[in-house]
Formats: sequence, C-alpha cells, structure tokens
Amino acid sequence: MTGFILRRTLWTVLVMFVITLLVFVIFFKTPGIDPARSLAGRNPSPQVLAEIRHQFGLDRPFPVQYLVMMKKLFVTRDLVSYSNQGQQVFPEIVAAAPATLSLVFGAAVIWVVAAIGMGVAAAVLRGTIFDPLLMIIALIGISMPVFWLGEVANLITQSKLHGTPLFSWVPPLGYTPLTQNPVLWFEGLIIPWITLSVLYIGLYARVLRASLIEIGNEDYVRTARAKGLTEQRVLIRHTLRTSMITFVSLFGLDFGVLVGGGALLAEVVFGIHGVGYLTYQSLSNLDLPVIMATVVYGAFFIVLANTLIDVAYAWLDPQVRIS
Amino acid sequence: MRFRWAIAITAGTIVALAACSSAKTAGPSSPATNHAVSGGTFTILANSSFGVADPAQNYTLQEWQLLIDTHDGLVAFQRVGGVPGTKLVPDLAASLPVPTNGGKTYTFQIRRGIKFSNGQVLKPSDFLTTFERQFTVPGPTTFYSGLIGASACSTKHCDLSKGVVADDANYTLTLNLTTPDPELLDQLALPFAFAVPSGTSMKLTGNTVPPGTGPYKWQSYNPNAQAVLVRNPYFHVWNAAAQPPGYPNQIIEKYGLQVSEEVTEVENGQANEVWDGDQIPSDRLAELNSAKFANQVHVNALTADWYFALNTKRPPFNNVLARQAINYAANRAAYVKIAGGPSLAVPTCQILPPQFPAYTPYCPYTAGTDHTTWTGPDLTKARQLVQQSGTAGTKVVVNGTNDEVGKSLVAQMVADLDAIGYKASSQLLTMSIQYPFIQNSSNAGKWNVAWSAWYQDYPAPSDFLNVLLGCDTIHPNSDASPNIAEYCSPSVQSQIDQARTLGQTNTTAADQLWTKVDHADTDAAPWVDLYNPKQIDLLSSNVHGYQWNPQWYILIDQLWLS
Amino acid sequence: MTATAATARQRAIAAPAARNPWAIAARRLWRNRIAMAALVLFGLIVAVSLAAPLYAHDIAHVNPFVNNLNGTTVVNGHTVPIMQQGGGVLKLGENPIGPTWDIQHYFLGADNLGRDVATRLLYGGRSSLEIGIGSALICCVIATVVALIAGFFGGVTDALLSRLMDLIWAFPVYLLAISISTVLLTRANGMQLGPLHLVAGSLWLPTLIIAFIYVPYVYRPVRGQVLSVVNREYVEAAIAQGASNLRLIFSEILPNVVSVVIVLFPLMIATNILTESALSFLSIGVQPPSASWGTIISDGQQLLYTRPWVSLAPGIMIVLTVLSLNVLGDGVRDALDPRAKVRGRVTAGQAAAVGGPGQFSTASVPDVPEVPDR
Repeated sequence: MTGFILRRTLWTVLVMFVITLLVFVIFFKTPGIDPARSLAGRNPSPQVLAEIRHQFGLDRPFPVQYLVMMKKLFVTRDLVSYSNQGQQVFPEIVAAAPATLSLVFGAAVIWVVAAIGMGVAAAVLRGTIFDPLLMIIALIGISMPVFWLGEVANLITQSKLHGTPLFSWVPPLGYTPLTQNPVLWFEGLIIPWITLSVLYIGLYARVLRASLIEIGNEDYVRTARAKGLTEQRVLIRHTLRTSMITFVSLFGLDFGVLVGGGALLAEVVFGIHGVGYLTYQSLSNLDLPVIMATVVYGAFFIVLANTLIDVAYAWLDPQVRIS
Repeated sequence: MRFRWAIAITAGTIVALAACSSAKTAGPSSPATNHAVSGGTFTILANSSFGVADPAQNYTLQEWQLLIDTHDGLVAFQRVGGVPGTKLVPDLAASLPVPTNGGKTYTFQIRRGIKFSNGQVLKPSDFLTTFERQFTVPGPTTFYSGLIGASACSTKHCDLSKGVVADDANYTLTLNLTTPDPELLDQLALPFAFAVPSGTSMKLTGNTVPPGTGPYKWQSYNPNAQAVLVRNPYFHVWNAAAQPPGYPNQIIEKYGLQVSEEVTEVENGQANEVWDGDQIPSDRLAELNSAKFANQVHVNALTADWYFALNTKRPPFNNVLARQAINYAANRAAYVKIAGGPSLAVPTCQILPPQFPAYTPYCPYTAGTDHTTWTGPDLTKARQLVQQSGTAGTKVVVNGTNDEVGKSLVAQMVADLDAIGYKASSQLLTMSIQYPFIQNSSNAGKWNVAWSAWYQDYPAPSDFLNVLLGCDTIHPNSDASPNIAEYCSPSVQSQIDQARTLGQTNTTAADQLWTKVDHADTDAAPWVDLYNPKQIDLLSSNVHGYQWNPQWYILIDQLWLS
Repeated sequence: MTATAATARQRAIAAPAARNPWAIAARRLWRNRIAMAALVLFGLIVAVSLAAPLYAHDIAHVNPFVNNLNGTTVVNGHTVPIMQQGGGVLKLGENPIGPTWDIQHYFLGADNLGRDVATRLLYGGRSSLEIGIGSALICCVIATVVALIAGFFGGVTDALLSRLMDLIWAFPVYLLAISISTVLLTRANGMQLGPLHLVAGSLWLPTLIIAFIYVPYVYRPVRGQVLSVVNREYVEAAIAQGASNLRLIFSEILPNVVSVVIVLFPLMIATNILTESALSFLSIGVQPPSASWGTIISDGQQLLYTRPWVSLAPGIMIVLTVLSLNVLGDGVRDALDPRAKVRGRVTAGQAAAVGGPGQFSTASVPDVPEVPDR
C-alpha cells in the first residue's frame, strides 16, 4: 500500500509539472498576448512598458520565467495576478475554495442519491411503462446546457415567481459562507445544487441501469436467484456493488473536475464566487497567474479523485486487482 | 432635479440638511420625495470589478465614479447634473487661476483646514507626491507630461520639484509647464490629480486606496466580492459646488453577477443600482418600458462613438473612394437596432458626438440631399464608388470582439460589405486581446475593418480628433496606438495644431477650426462611424435625487434612499 | 429415424454453425420495435437537417446567415417588420417577432439579428450532429482501444496510460481552445495538423477538441470493465487454448466491454453537443455565421425573457436526438448480448439460432433450451 501511495504521489507531481509547463507554453504561444500591457495600466508610454517588462521579468528567457512563476506559486506563494496586481493569487484561491466545495458536495449528494434511485427503479421496473418514462426524464436532464438551465432557474425563482410563497424565500444570488449564516448558506445553494445535479443524474441513472441489467444476467446472480433470494436482496447484496464500477469511475472523474473548478458556468450564472468563477474570469482576461493557479488546483483534485476511485475498484469488484 | 440643484449651490445647504437628516437608515417614507434624507446603504451591482484600485493607475469610469466621492483635486467639474456639470469650479484650490507667464504658470491658493480620512492635514506638498506618483506608478502619463521635469521621470524616480512648486508656509501651489496647455485645468479635474497624503508609497498601492479628502473613505475593496465606502469623519463642506456632502451612510459596490440577474435584483429592491456601464440584455429592456418602472429608468446620451476603423494602410481601404463607399453603404439603422433601437443609439457619420464643443451636425453619407442627419444608406452611390475605386471583389477581414453585441455588429458589417461587392469575413477575438491587437501596426496585415469605441476623457475636441486621428498618436509596433486607422493627413494635422494654439486664447475661434477638422476628417472617411450610444441607469424604487453629469454620469452620493 | 427427420436435425445442428452472429444480432434489433422507432426518429432528424437548404430556398425563402434587421415578413396576411421597437414611453430595445407557427414565414420567430430561427435550427442540426457524433465516435474508439491495452497488459503500461489520461482530464481545455482559435483567426492561411487543414470556421476544431477532452471519461469505465473481465474464467480458458494477445483482446474481452461503450456513446453525443454549446458561450466553438444547436442556444440567452423559443427549440432537438440514440443504443446492446432477457416469445428456430459457438459467451442461455456446441 505504501508503495502504491508513494508511486501515486510521484506521478501527481509529474502530472502537475507537465500541466503547468503546457499552460505556460500555450499561453505565450497565443498571438496578441502581452502581460506587460495589462500590468502597465491603460495607454502606457513605450518607456513605461519596457520598465514593467523588466520589473516583472517578462524580458527574461522562457525557462527562467517559468521557474520564477513556479517558485512564486508554490514556494513563496506571493504570485500576483496580471489583471490586478493588488491581488495575490494564492489567498484568492483559498478564499474561493469553500464556495466551490459547498456547491459541488451538495450537488454530488443529490445527484448520487437520485441517480441510484432512478437507475435501480428503471432496472427493476424494466418492462413496465416506468422504465421508458424515467429514461425520458433522465435524458431531458442531460440535454440541457447548464448556463441555460441556470438562467431559467433564475428567471423562475428570482424574477417571475419570486413574489409567490413558492420562491420568496430564495435569497439574492451569491454565496454566504456556512460559518457566517448556515440558513442563508443552505437557502442560497439549494437551487444551484439542484440545477447542477440535474445534468448528471440522467447520465448516471442510465449507466447504472445498464450495468444492473447486464450484471443481472450473470451466472452468479442466477445462482443467487436460484438459491431463493428475493429480487431485492439479489439487487442490493449482489448486483449493486459490481454495477457501481462504471458509476464510480465516472463519478471520480466528474467530481474531481467539479471540485477543481469545472463548474465554471454554474458558478457564473448563480453568482457563486468559487474557483470556477475565478477560472472564468481569468480566461476572459487571459490572466496567466490565475489560470495557472486554478489549473494546478484542479489538477490536484482530479488526480486525487482518480486515485481514490482506483482504490475503490478493489472493494467494489474483488476480481479486480489494482496495479 | 432643479430643486436639488438649488439646495446644492446655496449656502444654506448644511442648515437645510441638518433640518431634514436622520442619522438612522431609511427615514420616514414620505410621499414628498423632494425632501432629501441622509442615511442608508446604497448598493451598486457591477458585473466585474475595476481592476487595481490605486488612483494613479486606474483609468476606469467605474472607479472614478467612486473616487470623486472619496478624493478631491485642485479643481472639479461642478457636481450637478446636466450641462452645468461640465463647468469647472475650484475644489481644493480657493479659486480658478488665470495662467500667467504666457500660459505656462498656474498658481493655486490651497484651502486651509482640510483633513484626509486618516486625520492628516492637507498641505500643498501633498500635490507634489500626487503628481510624482503619476509617473512612478505605471499608468497614463500623457496628462501631466507638460510639467517641468516630467520628461525626465521614470517609474524608478521622478523629481517634479521644479514643475510643482509647493509652499507649505503660504499654502500656495504653483504648476510650471514647458509649453502652454489650455486643457490643463480639465486634466486636473481627473482623479489622477486627486490629492493623496505625502508619505504615500511611490509604488503601486495595489488594491488599497490612499486616504482622500472627500465625504467618504474606502473601507475595503475585494475585487472578487465588493467595495465598501463609509463616511469620512473628518470631512466638512468647503465648496458644495465642487464637493457636496453625500446622503447615503455607506456605499457598497458588489461584483460578479450576470447583468440580467442584476436587473432582477434591482427590480426586486434587493439592490439600488445596476452599474451604468453594464449593458442590459435586450430581453430585459422590454420589461423596463412598462409604466411600473417609469421612475426608475433614466436614459442619457453619451459623448461617445461606436465605430469601425478602416485600415488605411492596405487595400482596399487605402483608397478614399472605397472608404467613402462603405460609409454610404453602412446601414446605420441596423446597427442602431443592434444597440437596442433608436432610444438607445443615434446614428452618426462624423467624428465628434452631439452636445460636444465644436459639434455641428454633418452627415454626407446618407440617402437624400439633407447632409445634416443620416436617413438611410445610398447603395447605388456606394456601388458606383466601389467600381470607381477598382477594388470590387477584394477580400475584407472584419475584426471585432466575440461578445454578443460585438458579434452582431461584425455580422452586419460583413453583410454591408458583401452587398457592395466585397468578399467579407469575420475575425472575432476575445475582448482583452482585441483592443491591443488592432492598435498594433504589426497586425495591420491581418484585418481591414476593426470595431472600436471611444468615450470622452473630458469635453475637449482634441480628445477625439487628435487622440484618435492625429498624426503623432500613431505609435508603430505598439499595443497602445489609439489611431487605429493609422490615418494621417498633414493638412488636417496643421489645422489641429493651429486649433490647439488658438484654444489658449480664443476658444470660439478654436472651436470653429475644430469643426472644420471634424468635417474634413469625416470627408476623408478613415472610419465608418456608426452611432452615439445612450446609457440606461436603472435604479430601485426607493432611490431619489437622480442627477446625470456628462463627465461622471450618475452622481452616486447625491442619491438618497427612502 | 426417417431421412427427412435426420436431415432436419442435421440442418438444425448445422444452422447455428453457419449463421453469422452479427446477422443474428441484426435480426434481433430489427424485431425490437421500440429501437426501430428510435432509428426512424433519428433518421428523420438527420433527413430534416440535410434538407435545410431546401427549406431555406423553397419554403421559407430566407438566408439564415445574414442579418435581417430591417426586413419584413407576412403574418396573417399583414406585412410586419421583423424587429419591433419597444413600447411604453421609453421605447427601449428591439424585439424580434415570436413564433408565427406558419411554416413559410418565420415558423419559430426570429433571433436578435432578424434571422429565421427555424431555418437556422435545421442548418444547425448538421453542425451539431457532425460535431456531436463525430467527436463521440473518435472519443469512444480511442478510449476503448487505449483502455483495452491498459487493462489487458496492466503493470507499467496501465500505470503510464492511466496517468496520461489523468493529465488529459486535468488539461485546461478552454485555454487551449481560446489559444487555437486566436491563432487560426489571426493567421491568414489556417493551420496544418497532419492531413487536416484547419481554418477558423472549420468544424474539425471543436470536434477534435471535444473528442480529446472526453477520452478519459470513456476510458475509465471501459478500463474498469476490462479489469473486471480480464480475470474471468472464459479468458483463462481462451489463454489455455493458446489464443494470441490480439485474439484475446478482440474476441474475448472487447465483446464483453463493448456494452459499456454502447451505453456511453449516445450519452457522450449529448454531452458533446452541450460542450460545444458551452464553448460557444465562451465564443470559441462554431464561428459565426455558421450555426449549431449550441450557438443558437447561447444566442438565445439574451432573449430568454421575451422569446424563449429561440433557446427552447434547439434544446428540444437535442433531447429528441439523444433520446432516439439512447433507445437505439439500448436495442443494439440487447441485440448483441445473448444473455439479455429476450423480449417477446421465442420460437424453437430462433432459439436454435441463438447461442452459437465462439463469438460471444459460451455460458448457457437462460429460458431457452440448450444447443450443443459444435
């Protein structure tokens, strides 16, 4: 086990290194990008531009610039944003993380529970009208872009039906920290949670249903049935666990990317200033330090999630041996 | 609005306010809305923050609207709405000086007894710090580059002791210029010249704003959350025309919402203002037309141009006939529709905007014979000119930004060009890349038509005609070269120079010359000027005392809440 | 035993050996009425999208790619302007006309530039289907191949490939898309990528980018499935029989993991069409004036409060496409997996046809009489 952890940590570091290098190269290869320009304020004279270039080390060779940026990001942690020099990147990300974590954890709980419920129901009710009905509902959910759904949610809960008792409790858009006001935290996140989870429930329910049906035909399940176990018992004890492999694989990927700031459009639409929102801002402004920091943050969580999933495989399907 | 103005400029301001003010939030909701009350928190919603907060670097109207409430300069634009708001009045100076020494020396008497928000007393040498910071902090330096010693200044060191002579004993400040500059007083009214205490760091202060002398002070600024302004306990009124007291107890500007959601919140009364620089999406405009919001929506014309610059350095638009052709063909009514309709944009053919000094209506590129206003495109004339120029069939690249409005404008220009015989294609870049990209002459080979917009810095014709179309504002291979079209006409330039010199002594004659320049530039057609936009101010129902100043737009601290 | 009975028995025994398992699967699919209905629906969507130029020229008489802000159309016999100025006192804004439900005149109304939404919807179908299906196909094929290799060989190969996939999943795709898009737009001649010549408006760009992003997404579940299957008894049996690696991978393992891919494939098409929409929202997807369902949705964002049909219509098209492909996918899976419960009654002849040698599982088929192997 320790060997596994050690190897994985090494790989993680390597992945982060490669990604930061790629981000750096892509950024500077894009035409029209010149960080000195945004650092020097608007309409700077050529002299000031040159001075800024020198001050920020933008006239040094690329490898040196890369190393300096990595040092500032990881070691001294005083890397400063290009679009706002008064803003240090590291504290910015740390401050934004709780909002993203709140959004993603809540949505994940909802989507996992609902997907398992729907997937199991669809598999068990196969042959009745409920299976295709559930499938249609699921597919409608995954066919809607998140920013559209979010805007529609806002249209209903904040605008058109805001006066009615149904939605008058919905607070103005934005994130309230849990420590500041738990009730407001919850009320402000309910609609974003539901919106974000709708997109995933459908996919996961479909995948689970397919796995359940497939595994339901396996020999050992036939054995269990032959032994006289009820269908429910068979389902929960025998099929559900192994059916979860695909489910869990996808979950690791999706959850990892969301925690790492992948829910950018959802955060933008709901005014939640998490890491995804920072990612969106930094892409609009082409602000390399913030892009770099959000990518590193995201990469870390993605690799972590994948590692945890790999460990989970062994528990889910004893026939799988982790490498 | 008139009643409010009367209060502001009479001496009884403080007395009247003391009688009416209540220290708590939201005074009695009296139907007599003329009765101004102090108190409450005024909340502005803006889609994004204004970047770095140091006033020596920040060049955004968004921060300027707040800086005028927290800081003061030697002079100020009168803090009222309408045309009187473009008049300069003395602020920290006791009176507006008349320049001496051939227009190269300005002597100001600084008022005594004014304190910064940190308790420090204002003295003339604070201005030396302020002006030197303007050069040691990276930012626009062109405004005060006429001060003696400025040319030797750099971000490492700046000594303006000869250009800015401060006498702390007699409380006088003398500015010495290398050449006369009739626009200096206008430029001194910009936040770059607002006083900060001596001892303020000469380096960029980042997101911390140095103390100021205004009725409010900056409590905090987090670009990912909000900015909070609270009352400055040391403030007292010395010239209500320049710096009147403010009504709200607190001003908050929140960042990060989509504009459509901002509109919803203000309609619901959960916030007080949609920041007027945010463009309200077209589907929300419909509900703002209803009688319900009649008192909450205000529309004002801006002294600004939205235009397409034509690349005069390569075919087909190095040929004046081709440039005039597209000017005739451009369907300005369609562009106006993209901007939100005739109530939000006025078509124009010329450079200067209406209600600007030296503006006289002039539009040669229209159907019909009335050349003062645009009525419709003249496609026959346009096609004729294209044939004459021999450029028919040329490939034309139209550059613009990839946001919704930018995309639409570019699509329309492509259609207009195709209609007269060119082969147009679009090139949409993200906003942060597009503006520097089209300014840099090394990219001139990649585009033929480029969208841009210009808003006045202060009401002077040179701000449009010289900055955007002058010969010496072409900086080759630089990302900061505002003459995007690279248009340079020596004859027009000499008229510009003449007008600038004339402006020192005879503004009327200078304005006449500027009008000639405007018309000459319009005839040479370096641009396709589309329209002059109007701006919407959306306020919540409990906001009163609305005034719109042509320089600062909505006057935030003059609003009061019921 | 009579001669005829003997021949019949011989035929029955011989038949399975001669019949192609793919043909068997195809027949089962053909019999699945719901799957066939889905195929027809999908075919309809494709046909209608391909008929877009016909609709534009002959029925609606519009050019859906050019602004038409000053144009007019006919509603109920009256000529009306397509863009109408706002009312009230302030008269702010310009509203496009809403759905007329008249197939010849702006059936679904106009968008904010006066263009016919219905026509753009049809043209958009082509782009979306190309991008969605193309990228899903490329993604699934690459992911499956890599997953097979990783899962089968295990050890260092698996570790390396899996870490590579982690890298791809953590990759800042939006940055890459902005960068490539800017490069293409600012270069006159586009970019050469192997055999592909990419220009700014090329549909290959979003297709490849989206395929690239989602390879890890399909890779992981397929690899998980491969790991689960690779230790099964029939694989060991095949190894004992002396099967080569290639034969093992493609004949024993692939058929048992292909069902995961079949489930994921139509789901990926939905995801990809929507990712293209998100890229358009960030303005790095399909470039104007081309349309895709994604760009129409993101264009419709600013009309949500007044003209919701502009974004609803492409959404509905996406739902129908995804639905039909999912149902079809279910049908294909059922057809390929002989162990799946067979719907409807099974005749003896059919039963004899099922469960042939080799290709799929040699495990016995429930509810159906055993057929001797070979």
